[in-house]
Amino acid sequence: MNNNSIKTVGIMAQFSNPGELMKAAEKLRDSGYSKFDCHSPFPIHGMDKAMGLSSSSLGWVVGLAAIIGTTGALGLQWWTSTIDYPLVISGKPLFSFQAYVPITFAVGVLLSGVAALIGMLALNGLPRWNHPVFNSDKFEKVTDDAFFISIEAEDPKFHTDETIQFFESIGGTNCELLQENQ
Amino acid sequence: MKFDSQTYRLTDKGRFGSITLIVGIIGLILSCVGWFTDSQQFYFSYLTAFVFWLTIALGGLFFVLLHHLVGAKWSIVIRRFGESIMMVIPLMAILFIPLLFGLHELYLWMNSEVVASDHLLQGKSGYLNLNFFVVRAVLYFVIWTVLAFLLNKYSLQQNQNPSPEQIKKFRIISAPGMILFAVTLTFASFDWLMSLDAHWFSTIFGVYIFSGSFLSLLCVVTLVVIRLQSNGVLKEAITKEHYHDLGKLMFAFIIFWGYMAFSQYFLIWYGNIPEETIWFLHRWEGSWKSVSMLIVYGHFVIPFFVLFPQVTKRNKAVMTVMSIWILVMHWVDIYWLVMPTLHHHGYHLSWIDLATFIGIGGLFLHLFWRIFTAHPLVPVGDPNLEQSIKIVS
Amino acid sequence: MNKPAENIAVSSEDVPLITGGQTFSSITEKIVGIIEQKTPKTWYLAIGASLSLLMVLMGSVGFLVWEGTGIWGLNNPVGWGWAIINFVWWVGIGHAGTLISAILFLLRQKWRTSINRFAEAMTLFAVSCALIFPGIHVGRIWIAYYMFPIPNQMDIWPNFRSPLLWDVFAVGTYFAVSFLFWYTGLIPDLGTLRDRAQTRIKKIIFGILAIGWRGGNRQWRHYERAYLILAGISTPLVLSVHSVVSTDFAVSILPGWHTTIFPPYFVAGAIFSGFAMVMTLSIIARKIFNLDHLITLNHLEKINKIMLLTGMMVGYAYSIEFFIAWYSGNIYEQFVFINRAFGNYAWAYWIMISCNVVVPQLFWFKKLRRSIPIMFIASILINIGMWFERFVIVVTSLSRDFLPANWDYFSPTMWDILTFVGSFGLFFTLFLLFIRVLPMISMTEVKGVLPEADPHHSTGESHE
Repeated sequence: MNNNSIKTVGIMAQFSNPGELMKAAEKLRDSGYSKFDCHSPFPIHGMDKAMGLSSSSLGWVVGLAAIIGTTGALGLQWWTSTIDYPLVISGKPLFSFQAYVPITFAVGVLLSGVAALIGMLALNGLPRWNHPVFNSDKFEKVTDDAFFISIEAEDPKFHTDETIQFFESIGGTNCELLQENQ
Repeated sequence: MKFDSQTYRLTDKGRFGSITLIVGIIGLILSCVGWFTDSQQFYFSYLTAFVFWLTIALGGLFFVLLHHLVGAKWSIVIRRFGESIMMVIPLMAILFIPLLFGLHELYLWMNSEVVASDHLLQGKSGYLNLNFFVVRAVLYFVIWTVLAFLLNKYSLQQNQNPSPEQIKKFRIISAPGMILFAVTLTFASFDWLMSLDAHWFSTIFGVYIFSGSFLSLLCVVTLVVIRLQSNGVLKEAITKEHYHDLGKLMFAFIIFWGYMAFSQYFLIWYGNIPEETIWFLHRWEGSWKSVSMLIVYGHFVIPFFVLFPQVTKRNKAVMTVMSIWILVMHWVDIYWLVMPTLHHHGYHLSWIDLATFIGIGGLFLHLFWRIFTAHPLVPVGDPNLEQSIKIVS
Repeated sequence: MNKPAENIAVSSEDVPLITGGQTFSSITEKIVGIIEQKTPKTWYLAIGASLSLLMVLMGSVGFLVWEGTGIWGLNNPVGWGWAIINFVWWVGIGHAGTLISAILFLLRQKWRTSINRFAEAMTLFAVSCALIFPGIHVGRIWIAYYMFPIPNQMDIWPNFRSPLLWDVFAVGTYFAVSFLFWYTGLIPDLGTLRDRAQTRIKKIIFGILAIGWRGGNRQWRHYERAYLILAGISTPLVLSVHSVVSTDFAVSILPGWHTTIFPPYFVAGAIFSGFAMVMTLSIIARKIFNLDHLITLNHLEKINKIMLLTGMMVGYAYSIEFFIAWYSGNIYEQFVFINRAFGNYAWAYWIMISCNVVVPQLFWFKKLRRSIPIMFIASILINIGMWFERFVIVVTSLSRDFLPANWDYFSPTMWDILTFVGSFGLFFTLFLLFIRVLPMISMTEVKGVLPEADPHHSTGESHE
């Protein structure tokens, strides 16, 4: 690899507090930027609206998993005790749905829980251990007490100088280019 | 209906009060006719209707106790609803009197010849006897009335002259009040409902009745709020967030009720001991089977799936329909607890069921409305009122 | 018209959750500081003691596998002894963690943020301890896989109608979902550890565990939803787990076991004991690591209130059970309860009543609710009481059931006691390792409840 193949993939600026970050996000949204992200050490209430994001679709993933889990567990219990090896136990009907409730519920919850974590990671494109924002030294503070906005170069409105100027006009400091070796 | 959003008072109370009063009186007159035509049916219908409305009033008391105990903020704007509903309890005490004349028809164990030939009932006669029954009933109503009056008194005082004193008082009353409430509700449900079949027993019965009680209270509050707002009342004070919170609570208590109902049924079904299963067998006989299934689906499955998504809890139309539906189901639930004692082989709806229902209900709602509209509709003296209005979930 | 009085401090909620003028970075420093500082000598002492106890556990389990369950005090009719008592007790303790993380989250109780992380960890370790007991109780532990839905050599499936199998699913799911919940909560904090790591090995390990967390709002959006969903499904789960455990007893027809209030009664007891354990641990932790500003007296007072509430619920269940036993008119039912209170195990019954019903009454008084020594002792007594509750349920009902000719007195052997004591070794070893390597308080969530975290705090009409 040599220096020639370094490519600018975005610009990042720092903001001083959650309020500034949110204002900046609103301004970016209003001026037509779409591929930007606001980094903060904790979730900020109302930021989705400020950035113009829709709400998460994770619920559908989990709902599907819950349906698969419950029907699967009920199906297994039904099949094993009425079809595969019918056994009369304590004089109750072979398909005693009452007694199958606890396991049906537990498996439904188990699959939903797994789906919630894996689905969240998948929607977030994680795990992804390498990302241009990590190339910035200042960015280490994002998990401590710093607030950043990054704009991707793929954004149609992206223009290196103009974007930096825009950042500065809305209170961003420490603007820097995010670069990546090709 | 006219509303002054500065003082939170209704300047024109509308016709709701007079309509309910007329309906209530007509209902009670019809009930009297019912008593002359079929006194046994009357007493059972009356007990069903009475318990239905009483559980709502007790739900109101619980709501206020809980509100003060946890220092909740979101529910401040609807606190007056709970307070006004619980203030109907004295009326319920008066309406309990007719039942005293029908105890021999309602409760088999009240008849000494039955007890004389029943070994089990003899063993229980230390608890199940007429005098103690009446003493307990008086005690329950005294406790509930005193709690309701005290809480209401300091609430009105807070409107006039807000100080930290009242908040302290609320706390001091609520903590022991909650214990008294739990004990009295439990034993009242044993006395008035469980002892209809005096052989049968279930330790969870009191909690089961409680779960339905609070659930129906939530439905009543939701309905009243929606009705008021469609008349332009409290439009700014009660927001979508409050609906959402009410909806979430409703959803939680649907599950809570289902959990209690299932625990009771499931353990008895599994243990399969005749002295316990007989109670469910009675409710599985003839057309009672359909009522049992209706409760499973109507009181749990349908509301569960309807109230599951976020959007439905924030939708007034859905919440209206669902509240009415759950209240109907609550009535079916009480009916299902009471009536198999009278009609063994299947349900048998009578016009007296309806007459007693609207009779008690009319008076209940009339009194509620009078108490509610006599004061500002929200606790204007509460220091956290602003916060409650602005709450975001 | 009346104006609400403006400056009435109504409730403890109005007192700041976190005291001592903390900022975002001081919280990071404080919490990560616990891990980054040189290992304190007391930690070595503690882990040494815990490891010794763990050896005791391994020894007694080893001997059990070698010799069989005959080494325990089990007899006929008491076929379920300490193993099941310990199982229920440990699972119960585990309940507070998920309750704090899930139910209090849904109820928007912000004070939970200071204690939820280590309460969740406590859940995981308590459930691990619990899982040992049914595992070793099967006797021939090499065929423990019989508990899983796998047909055996004769092609017979496990009995899905048995509460013991429900336990496997319920407790297994509980462990798994609690773990997922705990890990989800940890991800942003693992990012902090990654960004602060000094050595390459730490950077790699925490880097892998943090799976590339960037703290972007596009990530927070799904993350918060995932957290909400996990809280939502954990809430019914936590209620169901102890309900299922209660069915181990309640679906039988044994007097004292078969009663309909068992599921909610067990759940209330579990929350009660779990909070008592959280209390014990948080008092120790805040003492050793100087966390007074993060786990404040207000937090502890709230826990005490919850213990008072759940203690009353447990007391309610005891009374209703007793009343209904009389009311039922069933002589066996009546005998069991009279026997519990006045029979040969009356001592255990009265320990249970004093610790579970009498001791929490102290918390009616604000002074006592805010006194560290009182709450420390009370929390330990409550856990003793809750152990005896399970002892009373298991042993009294079994030792004197329907047929007097079958009656026998149960006493534990040395191995019963050593196994139980040893399980503390496992619990504390895991717990000490946890507080040494991972942030024991959620930095992300504590920062989120600081007033500065509100975007409207630092802008607008701010007077700064």
